[in-house]
Amino acid sequence: MALRTITFAEALNEAQRLEMRRDPEVIVFGENVTSSWRAATRGLKEEFGKERVRDAPITETAFIGAGVGAAILGLRPVVELMLVDFSLVAMDQILNQMAKTHYMSGESVRVPMTLRAIYGAGTSSGATHSESLQALFAHMPGLKVAVPSNPFDAKGLLTSSIRDDAPVIFMEHRLLYDMEGEVPEEAYAVPLGVANLVREGGDVTVVATGLMVGEAARAADDLRGEVGVEVVDPRTIVPLDEEAILSSIRRTGRLVVVDEDYERCGFSAEVAAIAAEKGFSHLEAPVARVATPNVPIPYSPALERHVLPNREKIVRTIRNVMH
Amino acid sequence: MCGILYSFKLSIDRETKLSLYRRMVRIRTFENEARRLVGEGLIPARFGFYTGQEAVAVGVCAHLSPADEIGSTHRALGHLIAKGCDPRRLMAELCGRRAGLNGGKAGPYHVFDPSTGSLGANGIVGGSVPMVAGYALAHQIRGDGGVAVAFYGEGASNQGGVQETLNLAACWSLPMVFVCENSSPEVQRMLGHEIDYPQLNIEDVSVRSAAYGMPGSSHVGWDVEEVYAAAGASIRRAREGGGPTLLEFKVHQIEGNLEGRLEAREEERRWCPIADFREALTREGILTPEAEARMLDEEARMMREAAEFAMRSPPPEPREAFKGVFPEVG
Repeated sequence: MALRTITFAEALNEAQRLEMRRDPEVIVFGENVTSSWRAATRGLKEEFGKERVRDAPITETAFIGAGVGAAILGLRPVVELMLVDFSLVAMDQILNQMAKTHYMSGESVRVPMTLRAIYGAGTSSGATHSESLQALFAHMPGLKVAVPSNPFDAKGLLTSSIRDDAPVIFMEHRLLYDMEGEVPEEAYAVPLGVANLVREGGDVTVVATGLMVGEAARAADDLRGEVGVEVVDPRTIVPLDEEAILSSIRRTGRLVVVDEDYERCGFSAEVAAIAAEKGFSHLEAPVARVATPNVPIPYSPALERHVLPNREKIVRTIRNVMH
Repeated sequence: MCGILYSFKLSIDRETKLSLYRRMVRIRTFENEARRLVGEGLIPARFGFYTGQEAVAVGVCAHLSPADEIGSTHRALGHLIAKGCDPRRLMAELCGRRAGLNGGKAGPYHVFDPSTGSLGANGIVGGSVPMVAGYALAHQIRGDGGVAVAFYGEGASNQGGVQETLNLAACWSLPMVFVCENSSPEVQRMLGHEIDYPQLNIEDVSVRSAAYGMPGSSHVGWDVEEVYAAAGASIRRAREGGGPTLLEFKVHQIEGNLEGRLEAREEERRWCPIADFREALTREGILTPEAEARMLDEEARMMREAAEFAMRSPPPEPREAFKGVFPEVG
């Protein structure tokens, strides 16, 4: 495969473009998706026309619901949420209709829809423009949840999500949009539910997703020669590659979970529970978590920095579990 | 009623009239059979019936083929029967049996039947309306001439999602018809209880169409010919690319709201679409007492068979509870 260096956003754009070329049932809509300054969808309308790529009025319930309906009739809508926080006004369509219709219908209909949601803190955007919220979606039976951490995975996971017959929430961290990486030109699929071993190490397992994978990898670099840090990126939190996490724990005996989402009842709690239930005999230290504490994301950079997980906090936490 | 509707009404032929009548009888008979099963504890849920509203489902769905979709409500049985769902499998679904349309996972609030375009009942007030816009969007993109109809009540008409969808359908000129069944034309009610503060501060829900830039009109919902005429014009308009319409039909739930709990007032029993139409058809010489008796008998037999079919079906295996959260690959 011909590799070249492109950004995370360009990788997302390419996945949609190639799937739209391959399958006329793929359509794209959302707020401002035809705008030239929106890198992930730039140029799609020019190539595929305004029927298949359209701007929606600022009515998340209506256009997400329209995505669910179009998917039930066999289209493959890729619907964009400008920010994941805005999903909160449309939760009936997401958590009831999108998630449950396949099950409730006795499998007589499918909802092959991808809801792309830009998420994440670090830009002083305040409490309703900075959240992660993966756990909300992962909690509801029926939704798959992908959280890519690099351009290669972004393209491959989005391709898989569009092709998947289940509804997928596809989480894109805003601070990853400009991240560069090597990405094949051709279409390819990274399967949902298969973790990526980012760093090998023998002393401690760090599980992280999205932007936090990079933070965890840099923490591992900081500790080189001191602690052998293994970084596992599940890539999707539903389905979750539990075996990759458990087999790493079996090697290292220690677990740190890093999550930009809120700590309480979050993904970090879920991974800790899995370790306790299925990997307890291999644990040599209590599981530790580095997640956003249970406060709304504050605006001021001084406060925002203080609550978010980052490389330094991960280093500190790893040192704690090593003692 | 405006001229075009009147002429539409005049053009309804004998055969269509008899078919409209039979379908209303079918809904009533199905629901009465379901009531019996609720009373005997054979249907485990309590839910809303459609009695008194039959003319709306029948008059609208008469213009739809299985390739057109409807989205429905908590009070879905009338819509589902009118759209052509198999009464046997629908009854089995209500009973939570394996042979049900959805294998016993749906129950009255979530029935989906893609073979008839019934997609679907919905447990959330107004929840199906945005999805219906998606069905219409699929028809628009495919250019296949299909139309989608959203049924909802006057309570749902206030929901944000319904308002948002009116706007979206108008902005995208979707082939869609909004059908609001207003069951509180004289008395403001919620679940049969008379409420002090109204749910609506307007007489006619259809006035909201103007706010979104689409045509709308209000009609008597217990006159099946008027429903048929109004729906026919709107559905044809949508099919021909003219965009969405909001139709409001005033209806009366003549047998009360939730079975066994609430009873309708005596005066509301007057607005029975079936009794009215029977009188008209008899007057016009289209329906004889003998033909009527034969029809009632046939429909009653069909529904008894539906109940027997449901009772013969075993409940789902417990392991079925874990199946179908995600589609099977392949």
